[in-house]
Amino acid sequence: MSSITDRNEGKRVLLMGNEAIARGALEGNVRFATAYPGTPSSEILETLLKAKLEIPIYAEWSINEKVAFEVAFGASLVGVRSLVAMKNAGFNWVMDPFMTISYTGCKAGMLIVVADDPGAHYSSNEQDTRFGAEYNKLLCFEPSCQDEARLMARDAFSLSESFELPIFLRSVTRLSHASGDVTLGKLPDAPDERLLGFNKHWKIPYRWNVYGPPGAVSKHQWLLSRQGMIQEYVETTPYNKFEKGELPFAIISSGIGASYCDEAIKNLGLSGKISYLRLGIARPLPIKFLIELLNTCKLVLVVEEGDPVVEGQFRRFTQKQGKCLEIKGKEDNFIPQFDEINTDVVEEAIQKAFGETVKNRSLEKPYQLEKFKERVVPRSSTLCAGCPHLGSYWGLKKAIQKEKEVVVVNGDIGCYEQGGYGIFSKKDLSSPDNHKRYPINSPYTILDTLYVMGSGASMAQGMAQSGYPGKCVGVCGDSTFFHAILPSLANGVANKANFTLLVLDNRWTAMTGHQPSPTSCTKDPGAPQTILSIPEVVKAFGVQDIHIVNAYQVNEVQAAIEKAFTFNGPSVVILEGECMLQVVRHTKRKWQKTIIDQEKCTGCKTCIQLGCPAINFKDGKALIDKLQCVDCGLCAQVCPFEAIEGGIEWN
Amino acid sequence: MELNLIVAGVGGQGSVLASHIIAESAISQGLKARVGETFGAAMRGGAVASHVRIGDVSAPLVQKGKADAILALEPLEGLRVGVDYLSPTGIVILNTRPIPPVDVSVGIFSYPDIEEIISILSAIGKRVYHFDATELAIAAGNYRTLNSVILGAFSTSEAFPFQPEVLLESISSRVPPSSKDANEKAFNLGREKMEELREKNK
Repeated sequence: MSSITDRNEGKRVLLMGNEAIARGALEGNVRFATAYPGTPSSEILETLLKAKLEIPIYAEWSINEKVAFEVAFGASLVGVRSLVAMKNAGFNWVMDPFMTISYTGCKAGMLIVVADDPGAHYSSNEQDTRFGAEYNKLLCFEPSCQDEARLMARDAFSLSESFELPIFLRSVTRLSHASGDVTLGKLPDAPDERLLGFNKHWKIPYRWNVYGPPGAVSKHQWLLSRQGMIQEYVETTPYNKFEKGELPFAIISSGIGASYCDEAIKNLGLSGKISYLRLGIARPLPIKFLIELLNTCKLVLVVEEGDPVVEGQFRRFTQKQGKCLEIKGKEDNFIPQFDEINTDVVEEAIQKAFGETVKNRSLEKPYQLEKFKERVVPRSSTLCAGCPHLGSYWGLKKAIQKEKEVVVVNGDIGCYEQGGYGIFSKKDLSSPDNHKRYPINSPYTILDTLYVMGSGASMAQGMAQSGYPGKCVGVCGDSTFFHAILPSLANGVANKANFTLLVLDNRWTAMTGHQPSPTSCTKDPGAPQTILSIPEVVKAFGVQDIHIVNAYQVNEVQAAIEKAFTFNGPSVVILEGECMLQVVRHTKRKWQKTIIDQEKCTGCKTCIQLGCPAINFKDGKALIDKLQCVDCGLCAQVCPFEAIEGGIEWN
Repeated sequence: MELNLIVAGVGGQGSVLASHIIAESAISQGLKARVGETFGAAMRGGAVASHVRIGDVSAPLVQKGKADAILALEPLEGLRVGVDYLSPTGIVILNTRPIPPVDVSVGIFSYPDIEEIISILSAIGKRVYHFDATELAIAAGNYRTLNSVILGAFSTSEAFPFQPEVLLESISSRVPPSSKDANEKAFNLGREKMEELREKNK
């Protein structure tokens, strides 16, 4: 990690993509950084928080991405170079300020980094945020490797200042969460304070006010007028490379897609044979190279990770030029529009596109190993051993089972979203019935709906207000509560909806790697300077029915939820229990002492239904995995035969 | 040159660190390196496969059927990666100590026999070196040095392109000073084990 602030220029080090972006930003003299955690983007701000110890830079975990964006934009307007980072879904929160600030532009350099997640490894969708840059007419960097990510992040700030517009950098999981060799550049010795200051009529009257005369339409014209200088840069930048080939065929690729193309072209022996336009900027495209392609090629294959963003621009350009050539890519489903691409996919596409002309390798699959693949058993991720959510979900399940009607549980984003992962069963079948109740055999099937940050509470309200006869529940965590639930809760209270919100407060933004949340009590870098209280906020919002319970006391959890279900109006149950991984880290554990008495165990599997990965089942009996067990005491509480002993006394 | 390998294991076993150590050893020898990590959800206990690519490479992932070596810290994970990525000329270094996934421990699936895993991987690749590496790590004084045992074995295998010491130096620069001795011991135990296995194979 020390290589982030290493002043040893020219040194080659291994950096993760997110670290490389942070290093590049430091080389570009960034002095202000904000983000909300989101995989695969979180390490950008984490790295800058660590750099803070050696380089004077302000860095914070913001409440959500929209706030992070506006905070960073504020810094730019008074002349401080700023960076804001987020994941794909976080970008959706930013759209309102994002689409509007471009009408005025920014002052000090501003870099917007968005890490997309093709393949949805850590996300609820595969959205391609490069559309944002196109929509908003910003320059969109798309690095193909870690060192390029560093260079682009470095150059972004001065470029942003010359365009007076933020620069957009689009990363993906395979860049952000992959590592590569990076050559360290020069770190500036001091902040650049040339722009520090504020002038409300800077270069344009009412510069920082879209309503200020002559108004938003004129400011929109200003944004359009900046496009020429962006185009000029794109025409000459070394980040776009063009290689002319002998044949009338070409490939256009961008970003991580180019890294796969490089290898596919090499593997197929096509270097020098076909033309290759390798883009480091996904928007706008370099016109001089496009014209060259139009004049020399009859078939162009476009390879990019995500949606057909480059391809769409190229198709429009071709049409505008009145040229008629064959274009293959994602719009025609030549390359699938879903999931990630890789070198294998690209090789296959190249051979399929250019056919016999360039074919020099058979299309046969290296292996047909279906028989062997059947022997591979899944390894599902679960809530951790001793996770407080296990207790919360157990109590919720018991309360639901007492209800006559089908209770709808609306989930949210965080570790507790695993309540919707549907594991612990081999196969779940669909049913055409309109209304149906299903058993809850584990915490992993307890959530009925699962979408995005904040959606659980609002959807529960909608269901309740619609006249649906069952209880409607929303589940959220502490970080999500401040990120997205506040307006939903205010809405539910103001409209007196009869729904129950469960707040699973584990004191951390745990799922993304334990970044501090507003309720974290810690000295970690990035910790809240003032710790916020969820009960006080809920009270202040006017909620009449509030319960605060220890998530590790399953009977009390159940009783509180049952009580909340009887309340006519919005009720909130706050389930407290610090993330067990963190508890184990900061307390000295003695030894694992929980045991299952094999004589008393009847093999009823009730404890298995708790969903704790430290409980195994073998030869008709449950037993404790001593390596994983943290003595949380939950299983002892749920065993109907008092066969489990040990664990923490929670009283 | 081009070398493709995958370190496979379970979250928490140190497979990502092991892959970074290999990549750093390559960078120290003046080569290019890429490491692409693949895991399920970003949580503990899940399957982790870390792709390491060395030499004239640009993509972060190894192509299917092209892994020159698979370093498996856990047998089922070795199998999972092997059936997709192991090259017919590739080798596997397999820790035979299983960590059953929760899907097995709660009685929904059954864990394949270790012998079966070895025979499948032997059918796909050139050679499978298998031993209880966890036991060697414990013998080195700390079960957490498992990745160093496997790296030690790898350093002495036909797939490693440098002197074993290059890898050992990379380990020393990455592990905390307090566990340096245990890791070095673990590395040497892995190295000796591989020498013994290769001797047997002659």
